[in-house]
Amino acid sequence: MQEYLEAILRLELKYGVARTSDLARELNVTPGTVTSAVEQLKKFGFVVHEPYKGVRLTEAGRRQGVTMLRRHRLAERLLTDLLHVNWSKSHRIACEFEHVIDEDVARAIEKQLKGPATCPHGNPIPDADGNINEDKSMPLVSLGTKTNAVVVKIVEEKEPLLKYLSSLGLMPGVELRVEQKAPLHGPLMVNVHGSSYALGRDVASLIFVKKV
Amino acid sequence: MKGDRSCHGVVDEVKGEVDFLVALAGNPNTGKSTLFNHLTGLNAVTANYPGKTVELNIGSSLHDGINLAFIDLPGTYALGAISEDQWVARRSLFEYDIDVLIVVVDASNLARNLYLVLQCLELNKPVVIALNMVDYAVKTGQIVDATALSKLLGVPVVETVASRGQGVKNLVETVINAAKEGSKRPAVRIEYSERLSAAIADLERFISELTTETPQGVTARFAAMMLLEGDAEFIELYSKLKHGREIVDYAKALTVRGDSSGSDDLPLDVSRERHALASNIADRVTSRTSQPALLSQRLRDLSVSPHAGLPLLAGVMIALFSTIFYVGGLLSDFISGVWESAVSPLLHSAVGLLLGTGVAGKVILWGIDAGILAWLTVGVPYVLTFYLLLSFLEDSGYLNSIAFLLDSTMHKLGLHGRAIIPLLAGAGCNVPAIMGTRVLSTRRERFIASTLIVMVPCSARLAVIVGAVANTIGWAYGFFILGFEALLVGVVGVGLNRILPGKPYPLVMEMFPFRIPSLWSLSKKTWYRFKDFVFIALPLITIGSFAVGALYETGFLWSFNSVLAPLVTGLLGLPSVVGLVLVLGILRKELTLELLLALAVVQYGATGASLQAFMSPVQLLVFAVVVTIYVPCVATVSVLAKELGWKDALKISAFTIGLAVLVGAIMNGAVTQFGLVR
Repeated sequence: MQEYLEAILRLELKYGVARTSDLARELNVTPGTVTSAVEQLKKFGFVVHEPYKGVRLTEAGRRQGVTMLRRHRLAERLLTDLLHVNWSKSHRIACEFEHVIDEDVARAIEKQLKGPATCPHGNPIPDADGNINEDKSMPLVSLGTKTNAVVVKIVEEKEPLLKYLSSLGLMPGVELRVEQKAPLHGPLMVNVHGSSYALGRDVASLIFVKKV
Repeated sequence: MKGDRSCHGVVDEVKGEVDFLVALAGNPNTGKSTLFNHLTGLNAVTANYPGKTVELNIGSSLHDGINLAFIDLPGTYALGAISEDQWVARRSLFEYDIDVLIVVVDASNLARNLYLVLQCLELNKPVVIALNMVDYAVKTGQIVDATALSKLLGVPVVETVASRGQGVKNLVETVINAAKEGSKRPAVRIEYSERLSAAIADLERFISELTTETPQGVTARFAAMMLLEGDAEFIELYSKLKHGREIVDYAKALTVRGDSSGSDDLPLDVSRERHALASNIADRVTSRTSQPALLSQRLRDLSVSPHAGLPLLAGVMIALFSTIFYVGGLLSDFISGVWESAVSPLLHSAVGLLLGTGVAGKVILWGIDAGILAWLTVGVPYVLTFYLLLSFLEDSGYLNSIAFLLDSTMHKLGLHGRAIIPLLAGAGCNVPAIMGTRVLSTRRERFIASTLIVMVPCSARLAVIVGAVANTIGWAYGFFILGFEALLVGVVGVGLNRILPGKPYPLVMEMFPFRIPSLWSLSKKTWYRFKDFVFIALPLITIGSFAVGALYETGFLWSFNSVLAPLVTGLLGLPSVVGLVLVLGILRKELTLELLLALAVVQYGATGASLQAFMSPVQLLVFAVVVTIYVPCVATVSVLAKELGWKDALKISAFTIGLAVLVGAIMNGAVTQFGLVR
């Protein structure tokens, strides 16, 4: 259950809303399982379900989700920084760890690691009061044409795409310019270092930028 | 020509005969292949990398008594292993004992291009840089100092303009010198940041102390870089070697240890630093003056703008297809005129002399007279013209604009924007179009695209639409069928996208300023597609003609009649004899029209000669729709099997046949029920 709230929060932070299909993928379960779990969460008053849009957390649900997210990301940090566990494994193991960590342990980890701001993947760790220090970045898709911006982070787990983008020079810290947006929710044409690239909306929504 | 030959065989063959083996690497669209053409002339073969769909061009030429062989590697932005292109480029560099590596660099976009150069320098092989498109760079206000670049990188740099063959001679001389010197030339070591350099040196030492063996025989330093970059293939290769596990674990520890500032992502740092270094070098050797945006750039921008882009696309498509119809029609009439007045009588008398006027002679004539005429009048005028125009659109850069504009629409069909190229090519001939789906990255996409291509009316089916519908009951109905097909392709695409597991692959595509294509590469590209039509479709078409001829002339054909009658007459409301035509259409689609006429004469006497007397407008419409939907011909089925395997080929064939019958039945039912058409 907590697992679900955390996943919904992660998706909300990423896309603004958690679609059940994404939720199924994120948790590696069937859409049917998600539907019944969401029904349960609704009964507890943790989420509201908007048909065709997805699931949104209520205030109570968010509080629960943030707590789990905090423990998860601190656990990841613990695994990679102190125990030198492989970066890509840390997420999976942290999914187990987070359930045995209470707030005292979370604070201890935080202290030991001198208050890390982000998880090893660059996402912010919520503080003890449940505030998430969101960097004021926005997805590249929401940028208008003829605007310049700097890439803050690329939220993509799949390595091939990340590597491909980086071979084109598209990585955090790089300045780009949106040259054109195709009609009908089509791709964006983005200029990086003098070369133009067409990026599908799905790619552009993974790239978070700050206007300059 | 030799599409199925493995490149290992070809490389081994040429290696025995040449003095030096030279590879060409470079980013896509840097003029690398044009340069390759200048270096090798017509002396090139295309070979497949074993087990991969990526093709390599291999050629040789003689320069001042020295025999050089060239391998044109796939164009890539990096030497990674994340796509087949990259993998093949990298593997070829490791596997073939290359004497010199030419890296072709676009002078107008130096920073991005130098990324690959820096990676290639790590390989510790003699490298020569071809600084290409210097003329275009000047037009964009950039002058690159080749001497300074050469000094900074420690390798020779030769300025070239591949489109005009400039600098090629100089390049060859430099390559020969570099080959003679071998690896004696001290490699300039690329300096990374302290932290990264320390990590590389640390790992390099660790590797060298444990073993002298490295995957693919690369240097320990290169292997160290690859592991620190988190290269999946190298990690896998290492885990099979002795001490490999220890090395991989050590590398992993190095990548996470880092500082605790949150930027402990070493793999990304490697490429970040390489990019920084590349743009630093580019800035130091390039002097820039501000130039107004070039016409080619402005046109490109216009072609993707929301207001002008879509109307322009519609205009280009209308122009494209009208040209094909008009030019193709003229050519087709001309060819059939010549054939019927000059060649056909000759063939008839020759066959008559040799075999008499019996059944055997007639069967032979079906094949060599009607069969060859059919492909001459469909193949050369329509397919060739179409592929020439398509290559022009592709090379000029306009197809990228189309891919950009249509990406969101294509996404709904489970494809990304670039899949529009094979789909369009299907309107010429389905065979090369299905081969063209190789450019798509996932099997899911290739399956969807191939299924949709099968439903795109090729020129043979266009001939049926024109002959059976447009010329008899009116052009409006011809266009109705085309529109209906487009709708059907859309519906099937959306359906497949929903049913098949997975998601469309995201689009990431470089957008080039428009260019005037070189004649060389135009003709090469056109031939590349047309050859599949000639070597795969044509033989099967001719065999098909013989088969139909044999069935027809022996009278064996009619025995199918009663079997098909319930389906054809009952469901589709067509004369039962048409069933035969539909079955035989699988051999050659445009044959259905000729057969229809011929069979009509046999069944109904001379009145049948007029299609309208033989079939009602509704029947003609249903006939044309059914013919257009089901799997085009045996050639297409065999290519589907080759590309996707027999299981999928049969699935697609069965699906389209079922769909054709279903749509035909519904159409027949609706029309007779409600009288929608006269």
